[in-house]
Amino acid sequence: MTGRGTPSRYLASVLRNGVGRYVCQLQRLTLTLSRDAPSSRGAREYVEEKVVDFARQNPQIVFYVCPKKIRIPTVVAEYLNGTVEEKFLTSKTSDEIAEIIHKLANQSGLEIIRIRKPFHTDNPSIQGQWHPFTNKPSVLSVQEIGQQCLSSPQK
Amino acid sequence: MSSYSKAAQQWATFARAWYLLDARMQPPGKIAEISSIRLQGKHKPVYHALSDLGDHVVIINTRHIAFSGNKWEQKVYSSHTGYPGGFKQVTAAELHQKAPTAIVKLAIYGMLPKNLHRRTMMQRLHLFADDVIPEEIRKNLVEQLPQPRRVPKRLDEYTQEEIDAFPRVWNPPKDFRWR
Repeated sequence: MTGRGTPSRYLASVLRNGVGRYVCQLQRLTLTLSRDAPSSRGAREYVEEKVVDFARQNPQIVFYVCPKKIRIPTVVAEYLNGTVEEKFLTSKTSDEIAEIIHKLANQSGLEIIRIRKPFHTDNPSIQGQWHPFTNKPSVLSVQEIGQQCLSSPQK
Repeated sequence: MSSYSKAAQQWATFARAWYLLDARMQPPGKIAEISSIRLQGKHKPVYHALSDLGDHVVIINTRHIAFSGNKWEQKVYSSHTGYPGGFKQVTAAELHQKAPTAIVKLAIYGMLPKNLHRRTMMQRLHLFADDVIPEEIRKNLVEQLPQPRRVPKRLDEYTQEEIDAFPRVWNPPKDFRWR
């Protein structure tokens, strides 16, 4: 598969997050699960065992638990930049769900696509980009070239 | 941060420079070597084959180039007119007499890469048989390239003081008879 047709972006962070302080980019989590369905068993265990601890440790994240008559339990993550990401938790154990939620909480919300270059800098060059007079003697800017080519008798 | 905009930086990086090269008493091959590098832009650290980075080269005094050996008589420039029996061969001396810029031009043309950019790069080459060049070309010049060979000095170009000060191996006696 060529990289040309797939969407891509450059490596970036959200407003230099983490340079001064870190702002968690995850805003809201909605865990939807069923009371009875066997596919939600791990999700129910997660709610019983871990969800309170998670919410207490991450007061900046709003955590909704939404019991509903559904077959596919999901967790929906909403980020500060408006990204909404939905993960299906069908037949996942509570440990796997904890792992998924931990990963969602640590993500920036930028779309996960091919990154064009795996490096980035805000200061590309201290010296400045090359131009024809880089590392040339500065006398070139004042001296007249081609004096011997003047057709007048002053040569 | 820099005081100029990114657009100005871009223009500065990809600006074309004009070089002056004096071909007086220089071998045409050496002249072609220097100028083909400049015409292709290979002297720049930002060189890339797909970006058009060639500079302009102005060569003066092509009438006064110097061939080594017996190339003036023995070097042959061949061409074909396309008609039957149209194969022409001229020696370097004859060609130089007919067109004083042709030898340098052919040498550079032969050293440039054989691709579609060759004619474009040749358009950035400005050849002058003598040292008289138009003012609109002269005012563009940025730098004079060093000559690949030292220009020899003729005996009549030395002053009498320099000739007298030259160390002599043997001084003839007063009554020496020159034969």
